Amino acid sequence: MRLLVTGATGYIGERLVRHALSQGHEIIAASRRRPNEDIEWIPFDLSAASEIILPEGIDSVFHLAATTISHDIDPDIEMEAAKHLIKAAVQANAKIIFISSQTARKDAPTVYGRTKWQIEKLVLAAAGLVVRPGQVYGGPERALFGELLRSVRRLPVIPAFLPAPKVQPVHIDDLIVALLHCAESNSIPSSILHIGATQPVSFTKFLRTISIVRVRGYRPPIPLPIALVRFAGLISGKRLRITLGIDRLSSLSDLPTMQTDHDLQLLGVTLRPLSSGMTRSGNERRRILIREGQALLQYVLKVRPTPALIRRYVRSIELIRDGESLNLPEFLLVAPMAIALLDHTPAQSTSYEEEFTWRLNTAVVLAEASVQGAKRFLGIGEYNGFVICLGRMTRAVILELCWRILRLIACPFWGILFRNSRLSK
Amino acid sequence: MSADFDAIVVGSGPAGVSAAFPLVQAGLKILLVDGGREMQVKPPSKPYLVSRAEDENQWEWMVGRDYYSLRNINTVSPKLRVPTLSYVFEGFEAANRINAHDFIAIGSLARGGLSSAWGCGIARLSPEELNDFPFSPSEILTSYETVSRRIGLSGALKDDLSEYFGIDEWADPPIPIDDLRSRILHRYEKRKADVTPLGFKLGRSRIAVLSQDRAERKACDTSGNCMWGCHRRALYTAAEDLELLKKFSNFTYRSGFVVDELDCAGALRAVRGSDMSGNQTISASKIILAAGTLATTRLALQALNLNKPISMHACPIAAFMLWLPKALGSARPPAFGLGQLSFALKLEHGVAGFGSLFNTTGIPSAEFVRHMPLSKRYGIDFLKALLSSCVVGNLFLPGKLSTSMLSLRTDGSLHVEGGFRKEVPELMHLAEQRLRKVFWKLGAVLLPMSFTVGKPGGDIHYTCSLPMRARPDYGETDAFGELFGLDDIYVVDGASLSDHSEKSHTLTIMANADRIGRKISYDYKDAKCNIV
Ligand SMILES: Cc1cc2nc3c(=O)[nH]c(=O)nc-3n(C[C@H](O)[C@H](O)[C@H](O)COP(=O)(O)OP(=O)(O)OC[C@H]3O[C@@H](n4cnc5c(N)ncnc54)[C@H](O)[C@@H]3O)c2cc1C
Repeated sequence: MRLLVTGATGYIGERLVRHALSQGHEIIAASRRRPNEDIEWIPFDLSAASEIILPEGIDSVFHLAATTISHDIDPDIEMEAAKHLIKAAVQANAKIIFISSQTARKDAPTVYGRTKWQIEKLVLAAAGLVVRPGQVYGGPERALFGELLRSVRRLPVIPAFLPAPKVQPVHIDDLIVALLHCAESNSIPSSILHIGATQPVSFTKFLRTISIVRVRGYRPPIPLPIALVRFAGLISGKRLRITLGIDRLSSLSDLPTMQTDHDLQLLGVTLRPLSSGMTRSGNERRRILIREGQALLQYVLKVRPTPALIRRYVRSIELIRDGESLNLPEFLLVAPMAIALLDHTPAQSTSYEEEFTWRLNTAVVLAEASVQGAKRFLGIGEYNGFVICLGRMTRAVILELCWRILRLIACPFWGILFRNSRLSK
Repeated sequence: MSADFDAIVVGSGPAGVSAAFPLVQAGLKILLVDGGREMQVKPPSKPYLVSRAEDENQWEWMVGRDYYSLRNINTVSPKLRVPTLSYVFEGFEAANRINAHDFIAIGSLARGGLSSAWGCGIARLSPEELNDFPFSPSEILTSYETVSRRIGLSGALKDDLSEYFGIDEWADPPIPIDDLRSRILHRYEKRKADVTPLGFKLGRSRIAVLSQDRAERKACDTSGNCMWGCHRRALYTAAEDLELLKKFSNFTYRSGFVVDELDCAGALRAVRGSDMSGNQTISASKIILAAGTLATTRLALQALNLNKPISMHACPIAAFMLWLPKALGSARPPAFGLGQLSFALKLEHGVAGFGSLFNTTGIPSAEFVRHMPLSKRYGIDFLKALLSSCVVGNLFLPGKLSTSMLSLRTDGSLHVEGGFRKEVPELMHLAEQRLRKVFWKLGAVLLPMSFTVGKPGGDIHYTCSLPMRARPDYGETDAFGELFGLDDIYVVDGASLSDHSEKSHTLTIMANADRIGRKISYDYKDAKCNIV
């Protein structure tokens, strides 16, 4: 299909273009800047609205361009630009797909939300599709998502607003799948489509997931009454209010919940869970595999493995094995030393145990082939002597015995300990 | 119709290059083809322990960017997991259509063949050991000498194995011995009277490794990279000889030409094969097969169209680990990684064993950890303290104890059925007991459970499938390796050996190939004289 995308260099636009290209679509970018990809491009500027003529044979027009910074928005000009675009699309017989916002409402607290609402009406009048995404996250650190990420990274705590605003997160890649489906399918009636988690989560939980999964550090939540924020907004004046994003925050706090299940089903997308989407790769499987690798390697090395080493472990499991994690129980991931409980050769091993042994051997091989490993395995540069060596060997045997005894004791509780791992299946 | 070449040599391993030398020197127009595979992963350029301590990218040569060593974690020998050596073994079975059952079939498509990964152990067969060969021992002596001097040997020393190896007159002195092995040797000197009655003799290993510089090849400096690839080129590989051969104008080398079939229909002989440029048939007056025992045997049986099963020799092999309690806590010095000490062991019914003792430093500890009865974490602790006082050893028994059979299938593939004679387990048990006793007297403990017997084929010493006989039959060769039933096809690799003792056999393969090469060039000169 030939698709025209406005705002092709934005957070969602750029990702949409890349994905659409990989799916074999032809893309014409309509943006202020020439996009990085080597694709057809026509200049398009929201703030300099004028007549547009679409290139030949466009099937769909994605209208993503929007000014997000409140005090820069001139609703009239933005409306004007939308009108031109819609007119051109209608003339060219192209479907128009407008990316709106969950905040779009006639009486929204922000100009942004109100402008979106007005454009929505125009689009629907032209038999186009409107997509209202929830809280978009994941992928490159840009737009609101990027801002939140940077704030969480910078701050020692995260604000826990009271009462807690609810958001309906959607991973950028899931949104893009939905958008492309809008362009590809002919059976979707002109309507407003809501794309976001079916169950809203509190904004605090959203921030906490960012801090734990993405930033990988715990940030304690500090309760912050919304009323206080509003009051601060009141006394700080309009400009500062916008700069601090207080308007935006308050627009969050009274978001109506969207009914998304119907539209998700219509578009055939299943949203990934927040914790998995929030990882750098946008993929939970990888994250769990990384933790597994870290634990196994640490068990072998007795020190924290380097990130490069963990990467190698993950790659090897992805390349040679099924790429799925063993789902080791949490306590082994937190205290890798206890992996000794599993590390023995049973007389008859199940396929899970064989896989575990394979992976542990992999961890040993990979760990050894590193500077860290050379220290651990060869003890290069350490002082050795008869007594020290004898002592070390004795200690190793005693510790081994201890773990064996522990294993015996733990036997009756095996089922509970390994509840969720593949071992219990 | 004239042939493209006087002779085509198939294979650039020790056998192929050894046969090629006399032919090329006699002025024959020779083509040598091989599988052409070359090293892809660079071995460490600094001494092993330095590389281990400093090289951030050591995993590239220890594990491989494609995780080669993990993919091959279940193969028989640590060498088969070394990324820098992957090119030596890859693709052989498929290209040569080998199917094995109960047998570890290993061969090479590399330039230089298996000698690119070999252990460099060499020995000369005694007149008694040459009994089954259809020629007098003196006939091969010059060839032994020529080959030995060409490739460069070390280990010459007046010791209890001088006679056993029989190559001292052509070899340089040994490479410096490391502490652990010198302790064992000292002890042996002192307590010889206790252990020789057990049929045990100990001495320095004789190896095809330089202890003195030779042109571009440099002497071993004990940097310990033997297993990963010696950047000094101290270890002999047939690729070294190939470079020498390339200097002759009557020698043509065609790398990467995999022979699939021999064409013996007409008056000429030809090889049919393919390389990057497609299929091709090249003709010659004679064809010399040196593709390694398995590949050569398939080509020969196919040319003969012989479907009856034939027997092959392969040595039963075992590995074990010794511990020297008194050396516990000694440092790990950089050390030579191949055989430093060797032993000969007499067993029952005239059967003898041969083995060598190795330093463990250059071998990844993971290889040992895997087999420890301890969990990994404590196994590593334990081995870290223990390994520097340990020695690994191997043991070979004569090839005739194998019952392995080869047969050509109708689809042109070669089926290998592995097996040992029934007395092998008993002999191995006896060997284990003897060695335990002997080494105990020499101050070393043969670690319990460490003595492991390999599967058939694990020795990678396959021989005698097309043995030279005075009066050959189908599936055999004459005294000069010429295939019975097909003139002008010569077998010069392990396949044509008449017998295979426990000793390392490659030097004998080379000497025999040289001997056959000489014979062919005499015939050629004779024929020329007659024409003139
Ligand atoms: C790990 C290891 C350790 C060893 N240690 C020792 C030792 O200590 N002492 C000892 O004596 N021996 C040892 N060996 C055995 C020794 O390497 C072989 O005996 C020797 O290399 C055999 O020489 P070859 O020329 O007959 O065959 P190879 O070395 O196998 O050479 C075969 C040649 O044929 C080519 N080739 C194969 N198929 C084709 C085809 N279809 N078309 C064209 N060309 C083809 C290959 O490219 C190669 O050049 C060891 C082997 C291994 C693997």
